[in-house]
Amino acid sequence: MNSAMLYALRDVAGVPSHPIVFLVLGVLTFALHIAAVHVMLGGTALALANAFSRNPMRRRLAAAMTTTAKIAVSVAVVLGVAPLLFVQVTYDPFWYTSNVLSAWWVVGFIVLLIAGYMALYFFYGRNHDLADPQHPVRSGWSLLASLALFLLVGFIMHVLTNQMLSPDKWMQWYAPNGVIDPRGHTLHDYNAWRFGFFIALAAPVTGAWLYAYRRYLAAGRQADAAYLQWVGALAGKMLTIGGIASLALLAGWMATLPPVISGFATSPVVLLSVALLLLTVALPSLLGKRTLQTSLGYAPLAAGTVALIAVATLRELLRWTVLKGVHGYDVFTYPIHMDWYSNVLFFATFALIGGTTLAYFLSIAWKVGHTPQGQIYTPSPAIDRIGTVSLWLIGLWIVQFFVVGFVVWAR
Amino acid sequence: MDWIGLYPTWYEPGVGSGWVVGIMATIHVLASHTSVGAAILFAYLAVLAYRRNQPQLLDYIRKYGMFLLVFSYVIGSITGPGIWFTTTVASPRGISALIHSFVWKWATEWVFFVIEVVGVYLVVYLAGRVDQRTHMRIAVIFGMASYTTMLIILGILSFMLVPGKEIWFTEGGYLNGFYGANTFAQLAMRTAFMFTMTAVVGGIVAARITDPAFKREISRKLAWLGIVSSLVGAALFQWYIRSLPETAHLVMDNRLPGYFQPAILTVLLGILAYFVMTLISSRTLVVWGASLATVSILLFGLWPEEVARESIRKPWVAGQYVYSNQIIGRDVPGMRIKSEIPLLESHGFLKTQVFLPDNLRVVTPDNMLKVGESLALTTCSNCHSLSNTGMRPLHSYFGNTTNVAEVEAYLRGALATGATLYMPMIPLKPEEAEALAVFIVNMKQPQAAIAHIQHKAALAQADPAATSAASFHEVR
Repeated sequence: MNSAMLYALRDVAGVPSHPIVFLVLGVLTFALHIAAVHVMLGGTALALANAFSRNPMRRRLAAAMTTTAKIAVSVAVVLGVAPLLFVQVTYDPFWYTSNVLSAWWVVGFIVLLIAGYMALYFFYGRNHDLADPQHPVRSGWSLLASLALFLLVGFIMHVLTNQMLSPDKWMQWYAPNGVIDPRGHTLHDYNAWRFGFFIALAAPVTGAWLYAYRRYLAAGRQADAAYLQWVGALAGKMLTIGGIASLALLAGWMATLPPVISGFATSPVVLLSVALLLLTVALPSLLGKRTLQTSLGYAPLAAGTVALIAVATLRELLRWTVLKGVHGYDVFTYPIHMDWYSNVLFFATFALIGGTTLAYFLSIAWKVGHTPQGQIYTPSPAIDRIGTVSLWLIGLWIVQFFVVGFVVWAR
Repeated sequence: MDWIGLYPTWYEPGVGSGWVVGIMATIHVLASHTSVGAAILFAYLAVLAYRRNQPQLLDYIRKYGMFLLVFSYVIGSITGPGIWFTTTVASPRGISALIHSFVWKWATEWVFFVIEVVGVYLVVYLAGRVDQRTHMRIAVIFGMASYTTMLIILGILSFMLVPGKEIWFTEGGYLNGFYGANTFAQLAMRTAFMFTMTAVVGGIVAARITDPAFKREISRKLAWLGIVSSLVGAALFQWYIRSLPETAHLVMDNRLPGYFQPAILTVLLGILAYFVMTLISSRTLVVWGASLATVSILLFGLWPEEVARESIRKPWVAGQYVYSNQIIGRDVPGMRIKSEIPLLESHGFLKTQVFLPDNLRVVTPDNMLKVGESLALTTCSNCHSLSNTGMRPLHSYFGNTTNVAEVEAYLRGALATGATLYMPMIPLKPEEAEALAVFIVNMKQPQAAIAHIQHKAALAQADPAATSAASFHEVR
């Protein structure tokens, strides 16, 4: 597959903004998506590890993590839509080919993800009293099935992403020995180090999440000291052991890079990612008791998020380096058919409506979480105003949709 | 010479790739339309709950919302990207055309989708934990954000069928592609029918209400919502039909399955009768009845509708410039898009297609059948199954003939010149048409295909130079 063939696969309509815009948005949204995936995996694993215990603290954590995982799947799915969109815009020749070559698994991804999510809901529905160690755990198999299915769909996505990077092997996969096999039954290529790295990151990310969870409980006086201490110790272990394991797997991944681009392993973005991951691991030790007593309890999660943005950047730069350096494809030469209206509309919607509405929603959710059970929470006038602004902005958006639409239609 | 950027082909012999997309889309439409309608219903009920101080309405919102968390926000939110995934593997250049024209619209929809997902959790879990006015405001924001997702996707769906304005072809412009008569007709019709689905699915939850008076109240609300939306939707369907392009009308008149109109009418009347029954007596609202009504809408309303929507786009799959077999079939100067037909007319598929093994780029008696199969995969399998099952089996479109020359004559005549209604123009070179004809005949009667191949082999042996000059071409 030479570069002329790769360029021929590009969409004939071009792209409506400079490719760098899509790449940057892709990095940011992928970082958020993978963070949610990590919490989903870590939460499900923690629920599974603690649900069958008679220890009240472990059961309490299992119940909290079941709820967390359930919401994290939703968040992971919704946040995953954006990087999926952007990769189709910039790397369509690679993404579409990789998908078609393993089509059966691409369709299976959807079915398996639904099955995994339903299994988690099923477990949740069967165990409303999970926090109470006196109650037996029902249908534990569904939690195990859920985790297994999540890992499987993660592996499918890893393979699809990995296959993008090997255009030289595509024809052999599509037509082995010159005989076309259009069934798409095979997952052709994987990199165990890379997959292991992204899965292992679930441990430190969930560890950082647990620090935030602990701080949130402490601030709302919703847990006793013993539980908080136990959660803190668990978070520390997950962060340290998981973080080191992740770095080892990252080293293994970098060692498997093609010789032409082996220098990438020591490039600034890799070193920055390693430094930020180490900082995230070390942060709780540096902060000590402040992770429990002050808002610095959220700092490991914030640092972890920044580290994940660096990792997402690493992933994107590696893709660019492989495709440019090894296969001669430069994404930045994609023909641009600039469309200002749709650019402005998106960024305005993203910043104004997304910003205000999510600020309103999350402020309320946060405050309700700190409101004792049985009491009704009433937002402050300031939060109320954000809600009013949000309401008006969405209303205005709908009005502009119809006004612009009718004008265009009538023209 | 240029390449034609066709992707590899995925072929699913059981049902065909098109039906895989159709199944995914049908499930998604039910789940997503229900959720958008329910979001607006929740906003209305939350306002009522606040104004009339009826907290039991919030309880219904909470229960319906819990149901939707699985029904719409597990199945619906995953089958949404699922449509991308299935169209990616079944029609990569079709989905790519939509993505590259409307990426920012989809990105904008994504912002509202995020708001919607956070919103549904708040509406469900904060009922009774925040003051009613705040809950009402959250519900209204959730309902409005939810509806905007529909506003956006409808423009893209309309573009799939036909760009909003004809000048889009000459001048381009995202707005010209997005807005048009079909956009608004389809939006209006779907808005009405989404409330019908909301009322039907909402019955599954309402059927479990134990307080008879409250059940009667909710049952009546749902019934009126269902009756009015069904009737309005049926009226708007006529507007939608009138907004379709002429090619769509031709396909509807000639190619839609016979069961389409009776199925739609039967479902509509059945659903109306169901709502009238639950309006008269709320005791008739039972879980199995509402579930049956939901499945009926899925199987006898949405499935035919999705099949019809796929059919009336023919021969195009997106924007009336990407053929269903992925070839760019016309110039779009406004987007600097050039038709690929002239290149195919000059050099054929075998010389220009990216994903073709080199041993199939030149037709010989030895590989004729395999070349024919590869051409069938590329040019036919998006719409025609290459087996006995699935969507529009290819071999059944050639009458009883098992004569390669007759099939080849059709391929080189009506098909290659684009003279067949609802079929793409497929400009096969003579040797390509022959190979495809051999493959088609082989599906019907292998002996006839083998006899033709043996005849060609004998000719080649008798006069290798002449055969070579006529049929063989240099591998690029």
